[in-house]
Amino acid sequence: MTENNFSRRDFIKLSAVGLAVAAGAKAITKVDASEGAKGEHQWAMVIDQAKCTGCEQCTLACNANNDTNPDIQWNKVLDAGMINGKHVYLPRPCMHCEHAPCVEVCMVGASYYRDDGIVMMDYDKCIGCRYCQVACPYDARSFNWEAFTGENPAVPEWGEPEVERRPRGVPEKCSFCYNRIDRGMSVGLVPGVDAEATPACCVVCPTGARAFGDLNDPHSNVSQILKNHPSYRLRENLGTNPRVYYLPVGEEGIVEG
Amino acid sequence: MNIIFKTIRDNIKTPWGLWLVFLGTLLSIALVAGLSVFWFGLSITNLTDLVPWGLWITLDLSAISVSAGAFSLCAGVYLFGLKRYEPIARTATFIGLIGYTMAMLALILDIGRPDRFWKALVFWNTHSLLWEVTMCVMLYLTVLVFESMPIFASFEWLRNRYPRVAEKMAKAHHYAPVLAIIGLGLSSLHQSSLGAVYGVIKARPIWYKPEMAVLFMFSAIVGGIALTLLASMLSARLTPKAKVSDILIERVAQFLGYLMIGYLYFRFWDWLAQTYTYEPGRTEAFEILTKGTLSFNFWFGEMIFGALIPTFILLYKPARLSPLWRMLGLAMIVGGVVVFRFDTNIVGFLAVISYLPGETVVSYTSYTPSLVEWASAMGIVSYGLLAFSLGVKYLRVVDHRITSEVHETVHVESSDAVKA
Repeated sequence: MTENNFSRRDFIKLSAVGLAVAAGAKAITKVDASEGAKGEHQWAMVIDQAKCTGCEQCTLACNANNDTNPDIQWNKVLDAGMINGKHVYLPRPCMHCEHAPCVEVCMVGASYYRDDGIVMMDYDKCIGCRYCQVACPYDARSFNWEAFTGENPAVPEWGEPEVERRPRGVPEKCSFCYNRIDRGMSVGLVPGVDAEATPACCVVCPTGARAFGDLNDPHSNVSQILKNHPSYRLRENLGTNPRVYYLPVGEEGIVEG
Repeated sequence: MNIIFKTIRDNIKTPWGLWLVFLGTLLSIALVAGLSVFWFGLSITNLTDLVPWGLWITLDLSAISVSAGAFSLCAGVYLFGLKRYEPIARTATFIGLIGYTMAMLALILDIGRPDRFWKALVFWNTHSLLWEVTMCVMLYLTVLVFESMPIFASFEWLRNRYPRVAEKMAKAHHYAPVLAIIGLGLSSLHQSSLGAVYGVIKARPIWYKPEMAVLFMFSAIVGGIALTLLASMLSARLTPKAKVSDILIERVAQFLGYLMIGYLYFRFWDWLAQTYTYEPGRTEAFEILTKGTLSFNFWFGEMIFGALIPTFILLYKPARLSPLWRMLGLAMIVGGVVVFRFDTNIVGFLAVISYLPGETVVSYTSYTPSLVEWASAMGIVSYGLLAFSLGVKYLRVVDHRITSEVHETVHVESSDAVKA
């Protein structure tokens, strides 16, 4: 029956309609999640494990500045075991990967790269599917299972909130304090040099275990440290190219506090 | 109002009435559960940052996979010219329509911001597997709506009340071959991409393998055909409204038996590859399946009762010819596919790989769905059962006497008005 009734003309008509629909849909919005574009600056963090005492002041400063739910830590400090009878710690912010699995998998493009390498979250675009959380190799994302409405216990002792609280139903993560970087640079400060333009965790660290700066600037603090000292990154075998570098325990005090 | 009460009173004692009461109860409980999820948020579930995808995602994956009968049988009927199986394709199409809407319901519960679901259609990250799945599922759901139009056109009430509309809807049947081509394309894409959603995740070694796409595709085809046959046979046993041709079903069941050998081959190959060498994270996760908390699911749910025994039943003629054994075999295949989806999703989360430098440390977590998750999931399943039951009763979705010619009768009826 169908051979007779469904002519070639019908097929062409139907195909034309299909193409028109596809073209119309394509015109809506396209999110570009291709490789992170290389901008003028490439921000990176160096954490010296020899200096880290595991005091967790970085976590507290982060909780205050980014106004996170007390259940959520953007910057977690892990106990990495004992070396030479001393505890070794591993603070873990977001790695801001060059090839970030979270950005690759996000269906709406709510996770995206900034030109300066920061992996950003658009909390207004996110639909809360949690695929990014599933994909992150560093467990760097926390989901807002409920709205954070109460007092922030880290405020004001460890800082004042500088960004809006995230709503219920979206995952959140460390942003390298992009707000401090942007505001600082707009008034001529240099991130990594001037405290006002540097991530809160680096500023608060009492032992100076964290350095922050521009990888594109060969004279920056981080470029110099990485040039002169052995460093490693987490789960390097995955090829994500994190922008957080660790200096292993062994030499004492590499980062100039 | 009195007529309604009288109808209810007359029907409540019949098996049909009791069935409706049963489903209605589950649906009401699910409505409360679903609304409380929207109101209180996902914190009332047992999902955590370590296990962010749970029972609802399993339901979503399962509903889509056991709906795959629609594209595989439609392709067989309209592309490979196996016309005599058309009535089975009709049932499969209707099941597909139900299954995909079930998946939509599960997803709207699962996403953290259900109010923003439309953003998935407007903002495109074409690099994301979930983007591709979303697009294909939406487009395929549209195809299924068109494919189901002739089915809805056979609704008595619609035929009598709006004959012209019914005629138009029945005419969609002429486009069945084209719809089958589009459906085949879209389904092949997203059924395998659902596996690839897991297969591209580097962070979780048990998933990170190309065969995820193949396994999802293959398990969907066998699960989809099995559910279609099972639902047809079951309805024929339970109501005179459903009429099946046992010869047709038996033939497809035998073919399904051969497909199962293919499925078993891929599973066996995947299983051997997993055991070959120690791989941090993957081996630990695989041991959860073979020796750990999921071992019962894996060996009995997926392998022995989910694949081996039903393959034997469907290929051993005396067993296949017995309707009861055949139905049992088909039910086992459907169950096996659902358990496979549940295990695959959950096992990737249960073994947590540390990112600490040096030796890879694997720790374990657990997940048991909360009552709210179960209640809402059961409600979605009840919706599927209710929709199918109504289809059998009023739309003749399981009626193997219907051939393409029957669709033409709609035309004859409506043209009476012109003659007069």
